[in-house]
Amino acid sequence: MQNKTFLEKLHLDAWLLLGILFLSTTSILVIYSASGGNMAVVERHAIRIGLAFMLMLAMAQVPPRQLMQWAPWLFLLGVMLLVAVLLVGSIGKGARRWLDFGLFRFQPSELMKLALPMFLAWLYAWSPMPPSWNRLLAGMAFIVLTAGLIVVQPDLGTALLIAASGVFVLFFVGLPWKFIFSAIAAGVAALPVIWHFMYDYQKQRVLTFLNPESDPLGAGYHIIQSKIAIGSGGLWGKGFMGSTQAHLEFLPESTTDFIFSVFSEEFGLWGVLLLLIGYTFVIFRGLWIAWMAQDNFGRLLAASLSMTLFIYALVNIGMVSGLLPVVGLPLPLISYGGSALVTLMLGFGILMSIHTHKDFMRSPA
Amino acid sequence: MNRSHYHPKQDRQKFKQRLLWAALLVLAGFSVLLGRMAYLQIALYDKYHHLAEGNRITLEILPPKRGRIFDRNHILLADNRPVYVIAFVPEKTPHWEGLLTELSALFPYKFDTAHKNKFAHWARNQKKFKTLTLPFELDETEAARFAARSYRFPGYQLKTQLKRVYPYGDITAHVVGYMGRITRADLERLDHKRYQGTSVTGKSGIEKFYEDRLMGQPGWRQVETNAQGRVIRVLEEHPPVPGEDLVLTLDIRLQQYAYTLLQQQQGAIAALQPETGAVLALASSPGFDANLFVNGISKKNYQTLLSDPKRPLINRPIAGIYPPGSTIKPFIALIALEQGIISPHYSIFDPGYFTYAGHTYRNWKRQGHGRVDMHKAIQESCDTFFYQIGLKMGIDLIHNGLSEFGLGRKTGIDLPGEKAGLIPNKAWKRAVKGKPWYNGETIIAAIGQGYVLSTPIQLARATAILANRGTQVIPHLLNEPVSPEGQVHIHNRQNWERVIDSMVAVMHDTHGTARRAGKLIAPYRMAGKTGTAQVKGLRAEEEYDEENTPFHERDHALFVGFAPVNNPQIAISVIVEHGGSGGKIAAPLATRLAKYWLDHHMTTHKTANDAK
Repeated sequence: MQNKTFLEKLHLDAWLLLGILFLSTTSILVIYSASGGNMAVVERHAIRIGLAFMLMLAMAQVPPRQLMQWAPWLFLLGVMLLVAVLLVGSIGKGARRWLDFGLFRFQPSELMKLALPMFLAWLYAWSPMPPSWNRLLAGMAFIVLTAGLIVVQPDLGTALLIAASGVFVLFFVGLPWKFIFSAIAAGVAALPVIWHFMYDYQKQRVLTFLNPESDPLGAGYHIIQSKIAIGSGGLWGKGFMGSTQAHLEFLPESTTDFIFSVFSEEFGLWGVLLLLIGYTFVIFRGLWIAWMAQDNFGRLLAASLSMTLFIYALVNIGMVSGLLPVVGLPLPLISYGGSALVTLMLGFGILMSIHTHKDFMRSPA
Repeated sequence: MNRSHYHPKQDRQKFKQRLLWAALLVLAGFSVLLGRMAYLQIALYDKYHHLAEGNRITLEILPPKRGRIFDRNHILLADNRPVYVIAFVPEKTPHWEGLLTELSALFPYKFDTAHKNKFAHWARNQKKFKTLTLPFELDETEAARFAARSYRFPGYQLKTQLKRVYPYGDITAHVVGYMGRITRADLERLDHKRYQGTSVTGKSGIEKFYEDRLMGQPGWRQVETNAQGRVIRVLEEHPPVPGEDLVLTLDIRLQQYAYTLLQQQQGAIAALQPETGAVLALASSPGFDANLFVNGISKKNYQTLLSDPKRPLINRPIAGIYPPGSTIKPFIALIALEQGIISPHYSIFDPGYFTYAGHTYRNWKRQGHGRVDMHKAIQESCDTFFYQIGLKMGIDLIHNGLSEFGLGRKTGIDLPGEKAGLIPNKAWKRAVKGKPWYNGETIIAAIGQGYVLSTPIQLARATAILANRGTQVIPHLLNEPVSPEGQVHIHNRQNWERVIDSMVAVMHDTHGTARRAGKLIAPYRMAGKTGTAQVKGLRAEEEYDEENTPFHERDHALFVGFAPVNNPQIAISVIVEHGGSGGKIAAPLATRLAKYWLDHHMTTHKTANDAK
């Protein structure tokens, strides 16, 4: 290729970049409003976005073959770090989730958000579709191991989401429909058993979700106020900086987990539609990258990462609008906060790398 | 790799099919969300619009009233007093910075320009919709002055708050403790839900130990407010549950007296009721004013307290560890008698020193005490006698015996920050120092020096156990019955009485080391033991010369005792840091305190614990 564009030379994908820039700009605006016009918070957030972009750029330079070589080792490292967290991790709010390295704190479950789908994509890189049952069962065992190590931290929400990213790899590698439907049926049947093994605070969340009014001082209060914020936004919203719910401090975590409530209060149903279109655009571009990918590894990884973004957005918005229980998960690319953002942007870097490192010597498989 | 079924083209088609299903899933999922949003934002718009815009429903947290703390006679030691503060919301107070300057002019002595600028700088960086409270309090006159001019300060509102007040400031600072602002570290251990609307928590003493009982449960109130935030009506109210009032075993008059006795000194006094272990007084000197901490202590004041060489913040009765010196001799004697190491008539000749393995261990009285038996050894505090029997007993027997009296371990008193001290044994030295035990170390341990360290509360407790003739009690401050721990394994009643007789001789015999102090307690009789603990080791040929020794190297003066002898009402330990002679300095404080208690106690109101 002689005449590459500037972006192509940087191994960036213009459409994906466009979608991410749209969401990041929205993020800065909403955080400005939700923090009550606190420029210090906005500046910190903008700097984080900048740094995350640099990481994405760096990641995009790594060819997928290289990623494939790293995949099993990254996964092994991730498992070891998760075990280390259980043994020597720092305790915050009753859970061990962090490793303290003195200079910075690191949450190994963030690494696993990328390492698990990478590892599974590697596992099925040479398999036919669908792979042998042995191989499928091995993949499931790895998913259960990873999720299990995170569940006991305890961090049920993250565990389920990471498991979902693994399950999507299985889905794309051709897990038989029959199996998918019977697993869903079995899952529904197993709900009472899961209930039995949940921690009290998790049970409380589910109970509160079913009846928010039962806990007006705690989590139920969040949901009630979040619904008031969303509903009072109406079709057109109250306008930028017009969120009375956030400004009167009805809304907790208004810059992090509950930022969507502020967004929909200020920009209304049309704003929500636009935001969902933004997400859909980015996710579909990711699926397109998977469609065009040359090998199994790239295909599976790109598709799984795209769908993970979908699940994150779905769960967060479902949660703040009272459709799902509160699991304490940020809205991807919009919420304030560093580590989740970095992971997401690294994921986009991988997508871009898959799309821009095409091996033209090989005939398309 | 089994490639027999590998059909790349077919597989790619299958994968693309799955991609289409995934895309469909995305559309379906987001459609559900959009449907939910449409339901909330269009179908239920009127309801939520009404809730959010017209009349707002606000949840107000009602902080609980903190429990008060009383002494045994229901005299207030910690109270809640209403104070006035001024608060505002920047978003709703258009000219708040200019008005702040006017407020500074109205109360120049409380809110000078420097304070004002500092506060304004802080306030600019806060959320604009948050209620901010000005950093000073108003009394009633000042509140009235502000209220009369409130039309000049639109947006600024007068509020009342409850403030913790300690009427006895420095006298109870260590034992009752103090409140302080909730810090990041506190938030890690406190229940966030319970502390909404509360900005302070117990930081030390009873305030910290019984935080859970004193705190209470917050309530809440759902109110309807108009657009300006004024309450129109209350929809639902769950009143807060106030914290529990606590009654202590402490007697504030005795505490005050103990504190006065220690005035100008560094030291501690612990006084217990022997029968129950109830703490009657627990004084630590120098003190500090606990009220300084309540609204967050200023950096300057805190630095002054921290850097004071007299270390006023240390709660000496429970966290001060000192060599007990000769005060442990009665316990050593009792263990030796019971174990048959010595008989009551066993005697030695004391030339003024004891030589063992080439080392000379000197008696405090250079010329010696002549022929000495146990009685005389306690009465005159003969070191040589105890050097010799200590050596016969061995450190492990000493360790086990003294441990039964609670020395060298935490007493379990209901206060935070208690220290354990140390009664050494062979295993300890091997584990901690990595060296074998030397008999020379046993010799000095027998007179409470060397590795031996204890706290004043431990000594008071050991003395109480002695007064009880063996019944172990746990020192406690809360006036609720605490069951005794058990019994010391010394069963010969006569041994107890012999040792106690010797301690009576310390106070009331012509040769007793505390004979002068003993006169102060008449008409009662007291059993006691003096102690003068070396801070600095002296070489054999050196003579201790108080006048020419720098203050921080002077001996600690100690005393333990109980009275009356046959119906013990009070057990006391006293330490005066670098006070010099235990008999001259520490003993008179204890006898005065005991007399004060015995003179007043018989006539005072009796609480549940006394009635037993």
